[in-house]
Amino acid sequence: MPTDALLGTFEMVVLLAVVRLGGDGYGVTLRREIEERTGRDVALGSVYATLARLEEKGLVASHEGASTPVRGGRARRLYRVEPAGLRAVEASRRVLSRMWEGVVG
Amino acid sequence: MSAPPRWARWLVAVTAPPRDRDVMLGDLDEEHEARVAAGDARGARRWYGRQALRSVGPNRLRRLREGRRGTHDYGRGGGMETLTQDVRWAGRTLVRSPGFAATVILTLALGIGANAIVFSVVNGLVLNPFPFPEPERLVGVGAAFPRAGRELTFWESLSTAEVQDVGQGATTLERVVAWDMGNRQIAGEGPPRNVFTGFWWGDALRTLGMEPHLGRGFSDEEVREGRAVALVSHRLWRESFGADPSLVGRSILVGGSPHAVVGVLPPGALLYGMDLWTVMPAGMDAFARDRRQFQMLARLRDGATLEQANAELEALAAGVAADHAAAFPEYVGWRLQARTWNDINVGILRPAAAVLLAAVTLVLLLVCANVANMLLARSSARRREMAVRSALGAGRSRLVRQLLSESLLVALVGAAAGLVLARLALGGVQRVLDSMALPVAGNVAPDVTVLLYTAGVAVAAAAVFGLLPALHAAGGDVREAMAEGAATGSASRQRLQRGLVGAEVALALGLLAGGGLLVNSMARMGRVDPGFDAEGVLTARLTLQWEEYGQDGIRAFFQRLREEVGALPGVTDVATTSQFPPRSFLRNRFWIEGMTLESGGALPLALTTVVSPGYFKAMGMQIVRGRTLETTDVSGGEMVGVLNEAAARRWFPDRDPLGARLKLGGPDSDEPWFRVVGVVADTRNRGLDQPTEPELFASQQQAGGGNQYFLVVRIDVPPRSVLPGIRRAVASLDPDQPIYAVQTVEEAFEEGAATRRATTLSLGLFALFALALAGVGIYGVVAYAVAARTREIGLRIALGAEGGRVRRLVVRQALVPVAAGGAVGLALAMVLGRAMEGMLFQVRGTDPWTLAAVTAVLAVVALAASWIPARRASRLDPVRALRME
Repeated sequence: MPTDALLGTFEMVVLLAVVRLGGDGYGVTLRREIEERTGRDVALGSVYATLARLEEKGLVASHEGASTPVRGGRARRLYRVEPAGLRAVEASRRVLSRMWEGVVG
Repeated sequence: MSAPPRWARWLVAVTAPPRDRDVMLGDLDEEHEARVAAGDARGARRWYGRQALRSVGPNRLRRLREGRRGTHDYGRGGGMETLTQDVRWAGRTLVRSPGFAATVILTLALGIGANAIVFSVVNGLVLNPFPFPEPERLVGVGAAFPRAGRELTFWESLSTAEVQDVGQGATTLERVVAWDMGNRQIAGEGPPRNVFTGFWWGDALRTLGMEPHLGRGFSDEEVREGRAVALVSHRLWRESFGADPSLVGRSILVGGSPHAVVGVLPPGALLYGMDLWTVMPAGMDAFARDRRQFQMLARLRDGATLEQANAELEALAAGVAADHAAAFPEYVGWRLQARTWNDINVGILRPAAAVLLAAVTLVLLLVCANVANMLLARSSARRREMAVRSALGAGRSRLVRQLLSESLLVALVGAAAGLVLARLALGGVQRVLDSMALPVAGNVAPDVTVLLYTAGVAVAAAAVFGLLPALHAAGGDVREAMAEGAATGSASRQRLQRGLVGAEVALALGLLAGGGLLVNSMARMGRVDPGFDAEGVLTARLTLQWEEYGQDGIRAFFQRLREEVGALPGVTDVATTSQFPPRSFLRNRFWIEGMTLESGGALPLALTTVVSPGYFKAMGMQIVRGRTLETTDVSGGEMVGVLNEAAARRWFPDRDPLGARLKLGGPDSDEPWFRVVGVVADTRNRGLDQPTEPELFASQQQAGGGNQYFLVVRIDVPPRSVLPGIRRAVASLDPDQPIYAVQTVEEAFEEGAATRRATTLSLGLFALFALALAGVGIYGVVAYAVAARTREIGLRIALGAEGGRVRRLVVRQALVPVAAGGAVGLALAMVLGRAMEGMLFQVRGTDPWTLAAVTAVLAVVALAASWIPARRASRLDPVRALRME
């Protein structure tokens, strides 16, 4: 999968959420971050589906974190961005801002 | 505390990809909890539900995408995922063809259910009949006296002196107890009742390894002093004492004398239906050395084997013979033997159990062959599906596994249905067993063992019926399969189907032969003449208390009872007897005046029956010589007796028995002499399938020290209609006197044949089921072959072949595998028949008539099953047939 292909909007949103949380993001916080920033209550299933795709493309990486009683003993899975992910964000922004030039916003 | 909605969690758990399932559930819980903590529990639940619903779509899409690319194999649970996928796919396939699935599942349910039923019964009656711990160490000791004509028996086998010889001499045995059985009247709540009672030396609960339900067992001191203490059975405690725990410590009247109840037996310790255990009031020394009316029970000491115990008993018997043979000649050559309690009590059921288990396994194999055939027949449609799947990259092993999953699913559903059937049937079986006086508790309700066995059977069946069709369907060439029409089929499949039909025919013939042999035996037994008129005779048992009546009182009671009952409307004859066919069992040694005993010869032994005058007439027994016992033969006059023909033949082979004198016991006994005044025709006194035993009859008016008699009443109205009258007659003589064991003589014969009848009925049903399955199997294959050859047959008809020729062609071809299977089946039938020989009556295991008959039946069914599709073939419209495909 070529990493310089353009990311979809939701992929972009999720990847940016991972970047914003700086390696400590996991399901709950990522979903919350997206909700707060976009004002939309996104489905956790969509978030994970997207994360799986991003991970497959090598843009993010994950590892198992601690579990808490509230989670019924289930582990968190923490996501951090990979160098390729940062490049992809950069590339997308460049492409988009160039495309925005001259468009009435 | 507010929890997320259960349905929503379930939905997430089911739809989420396995890799993310846990983290997603954890995330949702965490967020839910946070929202609850923020004070909006209802909102949190709503949110969770929405999340679950909205995640279904993305989850599903993702699984499809990942599944297609095979990426689902990364991470945990990859193999599990394939399995669930297989099973789900299998379920969908079956739901899509409900008729097919129902047929297969029903067939399997019957086959597996039959296995579960037979195994449950065998498990409850033969494999694990008793709840006692370490059953292989619980033994009974029996004795054989070849010189007295007594074979090895474990019932009424030993005298107290012999029990002591064993108890003190055998180091391999411990916790030795002995007992006698009899009836006692007890007063509980309600009217007095007779209960079957054990009189014990020792604490049998300790020997059995059971704890009392309440209270305690007998103490050594109580046994030593013969105290009046009692243990009641769990069921008696419930039925007669209202399950009152305070019964322990109270006193009850047993045979009129107060006994202190020291405990209640656990439900599983019900031996021979003995509802009451008491301590034997007399010490062991109180009985003569040759009064053998006791049973012995013991446990093998730790480390001792049954073989060691038997070696020791052999030596002990030799020692006793050396010491006592002079006074008791029956000790010459006598034998003591220990056997496990299970062997003694249910050993006799083992051959029947083995035959039924074998038969039901054959039934299951037949079911498997049939289901395999159905799966094969369906595989024409499936082969295209398989071809498509394999073209899309599924490996052969994966396809086989998917098909096997389908088989396994079907088998397990079939097993579940089979267990339901089994439970229903076993309820009925249990009721029948409960009504019989079995030595064992006889609990046949399916337990864990049965469940495991059934599951094992189902898996094995799935492998047997699933593997062939699976290999067949998953194999083969894609292009060939895609090109194949639905109606044509590969030659290899037809070969397989014919092979399966052959196997079905072979199995069915084997089962039919087994069933036929048993039915034949049963029919022959039905034709055996019992030697008297068994129809319309009602019997009932009465036990009078010695202490209350005394010998004269007992005679007078029965005399008056006969008069009262004889006056009832519908009663044509009435008599009393100490035993009657087919269950005469009381034997005695006797001595004929002037006889000489060749050294080592058997001492004369015969059934000795004490009867009232009129017994022979009431039973319809023919006097062959001399006269019957008359009312004029009274005590004080000359003692007289009657022999049966078997006794006359055996001991008076070349002289007239009339006028000879004989007495009970050996040559030196003090018993009075009886003069033989008559010979009566033989009856089947030991059951229809046993030879007649020599029997001596004495008059109740002269002999007979017994207190227990059967009333036998010949009636020309429905037998039980006079029962109230009989009860009234008894009550008018003694209001507290119960009558029990009410039964017609015919019922007594039937009860004796109960095992045989149950086995015959089961095997007969299996055989019919097998026949039906084989018929369906043959029909299916021929119909399929006809369908596959539609064009060819159409062509033949178009070219002028007549209907008859077409029919013959089809039938002839169908009968090739039938004939081959039949040949194998005959061989199987021979083997099975040999193995069953011990259960047959007047029929050899290889009885040619039975084999011929069942072969003919099978041939007719096979012809009929192939005739239907053959007729259809002969009526084909050639134009339409040729246009097909």
